[in-house]
Amino acid sequence: MKTLVITILLCCTSFIAFGQHTINGRVTDVSNSPIVGVNVYLEGTYDGASTDDNGNFYFETTETGTQTLVLSMLSYETHYEMGDISYFKDLSITLIEAINSLAGVTLSAGTFEAGDNSKVSVLKPLDIVTTAGAAGDFVAALQTLPGTTTVSEDGRLFVRGGAAGETQIFIDGLRVFQPFNATANNIPTRGRFSPFLFKGITFSTGGYSAEYGQALSSILLLNTVDVPDQEKTDISIMSVGGGIGHTKIWDNQSLSVNTQYINLSPYEALLPSTQGVRWNRPFESIAGEAVFRSRGDKSLFKFYTNFNHSNLDIAQENINFEEFVPFRLRNNNLYLNTSFKYFFDDDWTLQTGASISWDNNDIGIFENALTTNERGNHLKVKVKKAFSNRFSLNFGSEFFHTNYGETFVDESGFNTTSDYKDNLAAGYMESDIFFSNALAMKLGVRAEHTSVIDELSISPRVSLAYKSSEKGQFSVAYGDFYQNPLNEILRFDQNLQSEKTSHYILNYQYLSNGRTFRAEAFYKDYDKLIKFNTELPQFDSQFDNTGLGYATGLDIFWRDNKSVKNLDYWFSYSYLDTERDFRNFRERATPNFAPRHNVSVVTKYWSNKLKSQIGLTYNYGSGRPFDNPNTEAFLAEKTPSFHNLSFNWAYLLDQQKILYFSINNVLGFNNINNYQYANTPNMDGFFERQAIRPPADSFFFVGFFWTISTDKKSNQLDNL
Amino acid sequence: MKKAIVLLAMFIVASAAAQDQYTKGMQKAFQLWKAQKNVEASNLFERIATAEDDNWLPYYYIAQINTFASFGIKDEKQLEQQLGKAKEFLDIAKRLSPDNPELLVQEAMINTAWMAYDGATYGPALAIKNTQLYTKAMALAPANPRVVFSKAEWDMGSARYFGKDVTPYCQDIDKALELFATFKSDIPFYPSWGKERAEEVAAQCKTE
Repeated sequence: MKTLVITILLCCTSFIAFGQHTINGRVTDVSNSPIVGVNVYLEGTYDGASTDDNGNFYFETTETGTQTLVLSMLSYETHYEMGDISYFKDLSITLIEAINSLAGVTLSAGTFEAGDNSKVSVLKPLDIVTTAGAAGDFVAALQTLPGTTTVSEDGRLFVRGGAAGETQIFIDGLRVFQPFNATANNIPTRGRFSPFLFKGITFSTGGYSAEYGQALSSILLLNTVDVPDQEKTDISIMSVGGGIGHTKIWDNQSLSVNTQYINLSPYEALLPSTQGVRWNRPFESIAGEAVFRSRGDKSLFKFYTNFNHSNLDIAQENINFEEFVPFRLRNNNLYLNTSFKYFFDDDWTLQTGASISWDNNDIGIFENALTTNERGNHLKVKVKKAFSNRFSLNFGSEFFHTNYGETFVDESGFNTTSDYKDNLAAGYMESDIFFSNALAMKLGVRAEHTSVIDELSISPRVSLAYKSSEKGQFSVAYGDFYQNPLNEILRFDQNLQSEKTSHYILNYQYLSNGRTFRAEAFYKDYDKLIKFNTELPQFDSQFDNTGLGYATGLDIFWRDNKSVKNLDYWFSYSYLDTERDFRNFRERATPNFAPRHNVSVVTKYWSNKLKSQIGLTYNYGSGRPFDNPNTEAFLAEKTPSFHNLSFNWAYLLDQQKILYFSINNVLGFNNINNYQYANTPNMDGFFERQAIRPPADSFFFVGFFWTISTDKKSNQLDNL
Repeated sequence: MKKAIVLLAMFIVASAAAQDQYTKGMQKAFQLWKAQKNVEASNLFERIATAEDDNWLPYYYIAQINTFASFGIKDEKQLEQQLGKAKEFLDIAKRLSPDNPELLVQEAMINTAWMAYDGATYGPALAIKNTQLYTKAMALAPANPRVVFSKAEWDMGSARYFGKDVTPYCQDIDKALELFATFKSDIPFYPSWGKERAEEVAAQCKTE
């Protein structure tokens, strides 16, 4: 028996030794051109070869029976041939190009991304915050991108003819209910969030994904840092306050905290604002933020919170009052956001999250007191499945709860309250389909039901991208977008419908090393806009949905950081033609917040010799429409055009200490944002007016930023 | 019992043959690499890697060939593919051999290739990562000449960028050279590069 086994074994061995098989063939791509350097081998063995210049391969093997022949090559999909070894002769194999996230087409119509590795990113997080004039407010930096308009007295985002309330902001996919600091009229606000804690920003100026709703014009997505690089402490001492931040890391967990105190009193004492304002107590705010992250093998948990208290007391000029009108404001805002992501096998990803916010304002105007309270909740579940790198499916559902209430007490003690509650449920489904590296499509649909106005809406979203050359691509996008009427309206009347827009976008993008060109033409159709018959929405106003309008235009963006060494610059131009009939408009007209031409030029220069980064930003906005009651025509006159040149200088005292200096509006242009007319004519029957100007033309800022980290290298240049 | 001995003997013979095949394969791959046939060399290492599948070395060399080949590439797409491949195989190697200082140095090299391509874009994030990688490698293997040399060269680069004195790092280079003279590993085909480059850098130190 034993001998038999050995004999058989010996026979087999000798058979193997003598049984050489030849494997050969030719590898080409779809256009029948040879592919050079393909690795062709029998799986699990050393036997194989690389294809030569003609795509031919040839090798010998002693393997027998059924085998798997593998053909692998960079940027092609790996090809497998299975069968008996004797069949692997004179093979003719075609490799298919792999879908490549970097080289392939991207679905980017309407979207600007600022991220570290994203291909469509036109700005990096660093750019956002080193832009002169932005003073660390990332929203201000986004205002240098095309599609936005210069409404300098507001500070929020006005996108493509849309009002500020038409943009929604999300952190880690969850809605932020009050993204901006509370402020007085004509005093620009800032975003509540420090750029310090975010790694990526996506700004969509239209045609965005079905995952997002309740925004007529635009969405801004912020993502917190997943895993911080290192432990460090950041200290900042500024002419307007100070801050301290710290990041601590334990194995797979980390915590970042950041606090900031801002007080404009010393600045106002030194350089008082004189243009139509008198500060009784300049803006003061204390803010704290924290992010906790815990990373597992296949999961990521994040918790983000932000608390903000601010107060101010100001008196402002008003043509209808002899004295300055006093305005006092105290705001408290708490925001919590938690998200959990789990990666299952087979490319399934589950993401869940919840956010909750409380916002409270105490406002005093003369002897009148106004208190507002808003609570917002957002719950979301999202599932993603990549079936292959050519097809993936994304679906989810979300739920919003809003509870808004307001109490107004006038000087005689008479009080009125108004409030509303809304439960909004939504579901969406979207698929990304890559037909090839040159053609891709995103197809989605979103359904929403809102309880306050009891309405169901269905919005289709489609975008298509075609790569026309190695560096250029065309995209088109279409989508319907619905948004509930704003708080200021819903609290008085709930017998209304959602406002609606449809976006049509055509985009061309050209990306070459370090240079980006984008041109985007759009048409936006507004429908069912809210109208009312009083100057401001109030309890006895008559509201209806008969408003409508359009916005059309062209956005151009050019960025180049290669042509001149150490110089990085970008240029944006937006042309906007829009008219709408909404609110209390008596006819269709271009609103005050929609100047026709907007230009931004941002430059940054790094000098090794001076160890400095120097930045200049110029903004131009053509005249903004205003209504002159002395004429028949409605909103027919225009303010002078807007100019602003800002300058900043960051000097590295050493690797971790930075001295920073900036001036907003260096040349001191006297900008006029609007005119306020008297409610009643004077004795000659003439309505008098006053210009609405910024409280001060220019603003100076000096800061010292110190980072203490283990590597002794990082600094806060990114955060300025 | 006899059966068992026969089987055992056969097993030893078989694995010895496999070992031999591994040695031959690796030698062939190094020959190809030396002859500048990078694609063929990388392909052969890849075949060895998939056949052996528990040995980190072929994966390490695939990562290294593709990293070296990427220096000088001007096209970002091509660079992404080349370095993406390097990183993919390095990650497998790291799974097979966790806390391996040679692999940490190789990872830092991939990052350096990105920074060499576009320092302004990749520098800020990757510089921090590299400092961490070298610190960790140094903690794991303070007597590994490649670790000592790579860390010193990296620190020199940073010091030059910020206009600081590089002499302390020249001493580290000298130390690395001493370590190169004595360093030995029992593992066949264990990384052995770095001595010539360290000598060049040491020479630069003398002239500065």
